[in-house]
Amino acid sequence: MSEDRTLRQNRFSVLISVLGIYFLAAILLIVGVMVSERFLSAANMLSVVGGVTILGLVAVGAAFVTYSGHFADLSIPTTMAFSGVMAVEALQFGIVAAIFTGLLVGLLIGLINGFVIGKFRANPIVWTLAMAFVTRGLMRWIWSNRQIYPEVEGAATGAGQHFVNLYRYHLLGVIPMTVVVLAAFAIGLHFVMKQSSFGRQLQITGASFEAARLSGINVSRNVGLAFLICAMTAAVAGIFLTSLSRVGAYYMGEGYDFAAVTAVVIGGVTLAGGRGSIVGVIGGVLVIGLMRNVMTLMGIDTFAQTIVTGAVFILAVGIQSNSLRRLGRDDA
Amino acid sequence: MSTDSSAVNDIGLALEMTNITKAFPGTIAVQNVTFRAYAGEVHAVIGENGAGKSTLMKILAGAFDDYEGQVSINGRAVQLHSPAVAREYGIGMVYQELSLAGPLSIAENVLVGRLPGRKGLFVDRTALIERARSNLARVGLDIDPRIAVEEISQHEAQLVEIAKVLGRNPCILVLDEPTSALSKEEIDRLFDTIARLRKNGLAIIYISHHLPEIFRIADRVTVLRDGRRIDTCQTSQTTTEQLVKMMVGKAVEELFRQRDHEPGEQALRIEAFTRFGFFHNIDLHVRSGEILGLYGLSGAGRTELARSIMGIDPVDRGSLHLEGRAVVPRSMRQMVDEGLAYLTEDRKLSGLALRLSVRDNVVASTIPSLCRNGWYNSSAARRITQSLIERLHIYPPRDSVTVANLSGGNQQKTLLAKWLAVKPKILILDEPTRGVDINAKVLIHRTIEQMAQQGTAVILVSSDLPEVCSLADRCAVIRMGHVIGEVSGAEITEERLLMLANGEGIEKGAAE
Repeated sequence: MSEDRTLRQNRFSVLISVLGIYFLAAILLIVGVMVSERFLSAANMLSVVGGVTILGLVAVGAAFVTYSGHFADLSIPTTMAFSGVMAVEALQFGIVAAIFTGLLVGLLIGLINGFVIGKFRANPIVWTLAMAFVTRGLMRWIWSNRQIYPEVEGAATGAGQHFVNLYRYHLLGVIPMTVVVLAAFAIGLHFVMKQSSFGRQLQITGASFEAARLSGINVSRNVGLAFLICAMTAAVAGIFLTSLSRVGAYYMGEGYDFAAVTAVVIGGVTLAGGRGSIVGVIGGVLVIGLMRNVMTLMGIDTFAQTIVTGAVFILAVGIQSNSLRRLGRDDA
Repeated sequence: MSTDSSAVNDIGLALEMTNITKAFPGTIAVQNVTFRAYAGEVHAVIGENGAGKSTLMKILAGAFDDYEGQVSINGRAVQLHSPAVAREYGIGMVYQELSLAGPLSIAENVLVGRLPGRKGLFVDRTALIERARSNLARVGLDIDPRIAVEEISQHEAQLVEIAKVLGRNPCILVLDEPTSALSKEEIDRLFDTIARLRKNGLAIIYISHHLPEIFRIADRVTVLRDGRRIDTCQTSQTTTEQLVKMMVGKAVEELFRQRDHEPGEQALRIEAFTRFGFFHNIDLHVRSGEILGLYGLSGAGRTELARSIMGIDPVDRGSLHLEGRAVVPRSMRQMVDEGLAYLTEDRKLSGLALRLSVRDNVVASTIPSLCRNGWYNSSAARRITQSLIERLHIYPPRDSVTVANLSGGNQQKTLLAKWLAVKPKILILDEPTRGVDINAKVLIHRTIEQMAQQGTAVILVSSDLPEVCSLADRCAVIRMGHVIGEVSGAEITEERLLMLANGEGIEKGAAE
């Protein structure tokens, strides 16, 4: 009897954790309509979506780190900046070389993070924080605190203009290229997380590292891959961000670490690991976009918006660990 | 059943527990037990796992508020319904798992909860050190109390724990398996301390299953079995054989068992297997279709041996052969791929991912084989899980249930299902029925026998004597990291194993 009750509760809480975030998005839509009649206009909706595609790219990768039970990758902002700067630097060899170089940076940082944390069990927070510090220092030293401009670096080959257009290109003239890329990543990574051998094993690794290890799962490799995926999507996002702002600099990407973790966590990927989905994360990203848009329409200034985002994060973590505790999974 | 004829006299009766009964859902852990302890004596309580020792001591510690029977301390009837009350009445418990905070100083640990304060806000360092020093002197430990606990030896930590408990001035001191992590010299020093405390008029209750220790330190010994008190006697008037007989009790007929097939080829052999400090020069082999028991008291090195065979922990010396082929265990993954499976001892920490479903746990070790071109076949996972749920009667019989919501027995069956799913050639089971109800236990035993019948080589690591005796074809006894004897067939009796594990009755030539 009581067992049935816990089972029902259980199913309910699973449903809430997936759909809850879209419910929240719906509430924000209603609030938005009440705040401003311009809210539902196609232009505004596009700006909501367009405003969070870069965050979305970061979040779908960062979700793997959280899912693996390793909380967050704090080297996301500098990975974004570094791949952007390197891409701009490589523009003199053409647009393809630039994109390739940017991705290579992500690959390298991801491999280092993954190896050190997966193999040597370094504390993920401390290690990625150190990684962020080192890469930022490296950028400021190499480019002596200067910003570099794609339109200058790529002037000779004409690649500079292509690079700046990366973010601005629209498929069939209407759908922003970034949205298409994000959709492709989200769908692909959804299947990787839920349907691949790696993703299934990552779930167990995240839920209980020791149990996974003693099930014969290669935990080092899985954790390493999670950090690699995170760095790769951060690199893609970094290239888009640099294209958007027409400038490569060490400070690009600041704040994306926290925003991504917020999207991941309110999207239902618990900090305890092993739970959640990319579908939820996309919902989390949308909620952040809607929240920002509604607040802007209400005339709340940008810095106050940061406070609200922080508060939402704390609230989400609180609700999650509380509901896990009530379900008897007090390890949240 | 004899009465407590050896009672000294009622003067100095520190503790009297009369007709104590405590039931748990489905089992009676302690039934009608009467127990007395006098000031100035060391009273040993012995019994096999599940005999009721720990339940009795938990009642004394105030862990339950629903026991039946009377308890009186120093002639005064008391109700021990919470740990705080028990402490107030002068009961000091020293558990096997020390409750010390490693990074803090010895002084802070000894005086935890009673730190001398200044103006109710700051800790008075001078008084803290001084008071700690005098507390430590009572257990004969001359050490700087400012040192952090994590920097001192196991033996010193044990004494610090005792000093901490003594600091509350108990009249009854309970020591639960205090020597399990100590070396020979450290045990000697601990016993000196116990002897001194006894002289000071403390009633000391000493729980152990190392019989030789009991003859060294205890004045009287009470034997429990299946929740009842079998006898209490003076240690000077009894022998190891008599105690073992009392602990084991029942006749051997139900333990005799026969399987109607011959074991096959040698599946696993280890030679001179050594991990320094844990186990030394272990030679063992197991054939397919055979159940090899590995019996030993906790801390004897059984689990460590199993972990090294599985590649989880390193090996310093020795070789391992699978079907005659030399293999170096490097990782658990590798050994699982070689056809080995290892059911760990602690299902909650290292066995199951409690927050995931039964299905996710059951297929945990089989994911790569459930994937085609790297993609997971979830309907195959569901099918395999469902058939194992039916085979092991896991309740509720649904593969989507979160493991944390299952009972202990069903969790253990889920863990077993995970290793059955890999279809192992060699199955190592570490305490496969610890803490499960009787129905689950029977089912797990039947399943182990079936596995052997179908040709799996089984290594059964257990400290549950009846379990080893009823299942094993051969049994190796491991003591302090050495295999000190091997018995097979009808020779596997509880008496024989218990004697061997306690270091008695070893054949000539078997080294320790």
